[in-house]
Amino acid sequence: MKKEKSPLLSVKDLSVSFGNSTIPVLKNISFDVNTHEALAIVGPNGSGKSVLLKTLLGAIPRSAGIIAWKENINIGYLPQRFQVDHYLPMTVKEFLSLKQLPRYSLQEIAELVKAKTDWLGKNLAHLSGGELQKTLLAWAIFDKPDILLFDEPTENVDVANQESIYALLHQLQDTLGVALVIVSHDIGIVYRYADNVLCLNHDMLCYGNPKETLTAKTLTDLYGTHTLIHDHQSHKNYDIH
Amino acid sequence: MTFTDTNTLLLVVSGVCVAAASGLIGSFLILRRMTLLSDALSHVALPGIALGVIFKFEPLVGGLLFLFLSIFLIWGIEHRTKLAIESITGVLFVTALAVGSLLIEEHDLLEAFFGNVETISSARAVIQTVLAIIVLVVTTLFFKRLVLVSVAPELTLAEKIRPSRMELLLLTLIALTISIGISFVGVLLMSALTIIPAATARNISKNLKGYISLSIIFAIIGLIGGIFIAKTYAINSGVATVLISTSLFIVSLFWKRD
Repeated sequence: MKKEKSPLLSVKDLSVSFGNSTIPVLKNISFDVNTHEALAIVGPNGSGKSVLLKTLLGAIPRSAGIIAWKENINIGYLPQRFQVDHYLPMTVKEFLSLKQLPRYSLQEIAELVKAKTDWLGKNLAHLSGGELQKTLLAWAIFDKPDILLFDEPTENVDVANQESIYALLHQLQDTLGVALVIVSHDIGIVYRYADNVLCLNHDMLCYGNPKETLTAKTLTDLYGTHTLIHDHQSHKNYDIH
Repeated sequence: MTFTDTNTLLLVVSGVCVAAASGLIGSFLILRRMTLLSDALSHVALPGIALGVIFKFEPLVGGLLFLFLSIFLIWGIEHRTKLAIESITGVLFVTALAVGSLLIEEHDLLEAFFGNVETISSARAVIQTVLAIIVLVVTTLFFKRLVLVSVAPELTLAEKIRPSRMELLLLTLIALTISIGISFVGVLLMSALTIIPAATARNISKNLKGYISLSIIFAIIGLIGGIFIAKTYAINSGVATVLISTSLFIVSLFWKRD
């Protein structure tokens, strides 16, 4: 893959601490994200993955280090949790219309996320987990971002739909030329779709190509002494001791 | 009551504008689950109204000043302590109620509590109309951002929207709306103009456009009906507005929106 000289995002020695705590939530994190690249961030619960994304967006102040975004970059972000009030009277079309500067028509965006024809008229509160995720994906790409930050994109989606969401993301990456930073628990997905992986457990335990970097030892260091990893596509389990 | 009388006509025009602003802001209060905020915040206006009565200046101005003072206090305390807005409002509103009750005489206190259309001068009606139009225009200008911050604050991170600024703007609009509504319905019954119409609209609406439009329409029906009853049957306008709004709410409970 051809890479531009200046990355879309360059992070050097990033550290984050909360309040007066001397124990950092993130410590000496460094990585780059280039055009068209997919970077996966993996790590156990509470390892600082969501904190990292929020720090990149400026919502959490950094204690040390540098976060350098490419000039005039357009960033898309989808959070880990998106709660919709069950009584919210709002259609998908109305929700997407809240976007400040959309670059596609509603019809185009529906086609891009491969949504059914009645999707735009559906009530946001009545969507299935997969439909809601497609709606959020449509929201994120509606203003044609250069890079998408996704915090566990399939957390509220059933197993059958998880693979299709990742396949759609991968396809959008090719179609739109967008770079991806994805927090994921699914190591099988990381092997298949990510160009680079960053293993996070407050410290940066690994960074590089998944096939070379995600060794059994790295995964054991990351998740503990016994780790079972399921690959949805091959339906194989990787039992790591 | 005849609408040919200039003062009454001015009162009705003011009522329509104030109710429209209240219905619009009320719909945001429901979306943000801040339903008790306007009710509690309206009490904060009481010391300002009392100072207006004592020092012979427009009580609406006094109420507005106290409301602005309190929203900056609420916003400042929330950002320093991370206490919920409603908790801080809870502290402020009982304090303001106690101070206001100390300052104001019983007759004026009842009027401040329940409103009285008879005491709304033409000048006050004009001020209320202008402020209501300001609320409607500003809310329309910031509509997309205010809705997004209300329903999906998590999504604002990458949208170049500062949620805290939108929160301050919404609090300011709430304060303005309360200050112009309390002459009609009083500090105790303000939710008749904000929460009840929005809750009624939500019961029967399928989409955002319908929800906000109906919230405004129900607020207008409630307030203009209240003014009409107050003028015709010598019943307090605040009480009449509450009863009309509540009747609409009860009907909406039997309405199936799906």
